[in-house]
Amino acid sequence: MAHAIKYHPGMALLEQFAEGCLNADVALAVAAHIDLCPHCQQLQRDITTDLAGRLMQQRLKPDNTNWDAMLSNIMSQQEPAARTEVIEVPAQQVQVAGREFTLPRALQRLASKHGKWLQLGGIATAKIPAGSDYHISLLYISKDTEVPQHTHLGLEMTLVLAGKIADENGEYCAGDLLINSPDDTHTPRTLPDEDCLCLSVLSAPLQFKKGLTRLLNPLQQFFY
Amino acid sequence: TGQDHTHQQWEDALTFVALKRDRQAYAELFNYFAPRLKAFGMKMFGNEQQALEMVQDTMLNVWKKAALFDASRGCASTWIFTIARNVRFDMLRKKQSRKDDISADDLWNGDYPESYAEEAADNWDIQLLSEKLAPHFSLLPPPQREVIEKVYLQEKTHQEVSDELAIPLGTVKSRIRLALDRLREALDGARN
Ligand SMILES: [Zn+2]
Ligand SMILES: [Zn+2]
Repeated sequence: MAHAIKYHPGMALLEQFAEGCLNADVALAVAAHIDLCPHCQQLQRDITTDLAGRLMQQRLKPDNTNWDAMLSNIMSQQEPAARTEVIEVPAQQVQVAGREFTLPRALQRLASKHGKWLQLGGIATAKIPAGSDYHISLLYISKDTEVPQHTHLGLEMTLVLAGKIADENGEYCAGDLLINSPDDTHTPRTLPDEDCLCLSVLSAPLQFKKGLTRLLNPLQQFFY
Repeated sequence: TGQDHTHQQWEDALTFVALKRDRQAYAELFNYFAPRLKAFGMKMFGNEQQALEMVQDTMLNVWKKAALFDASRGCASTWIFTIARNVRFDMLRKKQSRKDDISADDLWNGDYPESYAEEAADNWDIQLLSEKLAPHFSLLPPPQREVIEKVYLQEKTHQEVSDELAIPLGTVKSRIRLALDRLREALDGARN
């Protein structure tokens, strides 16, 4: 990747991810970021190595598990074919607004089942069916388009997958992961010459600030 | 050295299991890792039955998939830990049993080229460390703090620390990089 990624998940988030304790929907955004970010790939390796070391360093308490039974049970299981070949699945493309995008590995399987694209002005969104506690969707924003100013009732994670987006706090490129908490307010927009595809993970609807709230209510439904 | 022998031993055992279905080698792996995985499972599930289910599934994977272990990508204990982590994750998700659900494969099956981060940790100025960073040592998780103190305050070599703590050399290096990253985060202000 030509540019450096500037916005990463913090160490605490990466640790929970590597341990497998993170909410799965949030973990999916973190995994997709790691696919795009060599820096976090290294961190992830180090954290996993650290955690495995802790596993080995545990002090064991006396325990009366019948390990011999489990051991012979396992060794009596049918032997698998000598080597399991990993089947390479060709990367799936996502098409929207006449454009084609390749998604990070972590999203490939789930995003191939995305819902129908819903279009509103220069913005299109398609649900990814995996979400349970959160809503996960692909969000496409045409160039020179603004998402109305909003605040967050919950957590909003936006991973830039392609192109560029900006808000009051900065400019975000492919791989950058923005995390907004409740009460953070911002107005994301694309630049005049570049569109943007994002992964959006939301724990609660957005709340739009400007204009007639009543008119914007359908927008809430649209994004969530 | 003694410790690296032990860790080398687990890698060899996995190779014997992969190539020859070596029962003796597998039993040694099992006897070492199964109780440790159970303790880890107890912490995660708080429930003996599920902890043992996780151990059984994990160790079965080790038996069946030993051929997939690649020592150039990390040590045996790390490989086994990731299997246990994935088994546990999928056990928790399966309860909700949805086909479109996020699986451990989606999250952790990435295959990344080894990057160049190796030297980064070695270039830190020890003087700077003790003066500016010492106040932040308390923020570090104990396993990382322990390694940092031995390397930077007691001036031990990575190998000595590895022997003393009975952890692989690679784990010592990982913990140093992580600790420095955390301290950097403390100095620069947190990221996300
Ligand atoms: Zn990153
Ligand atoms: Zn937002």
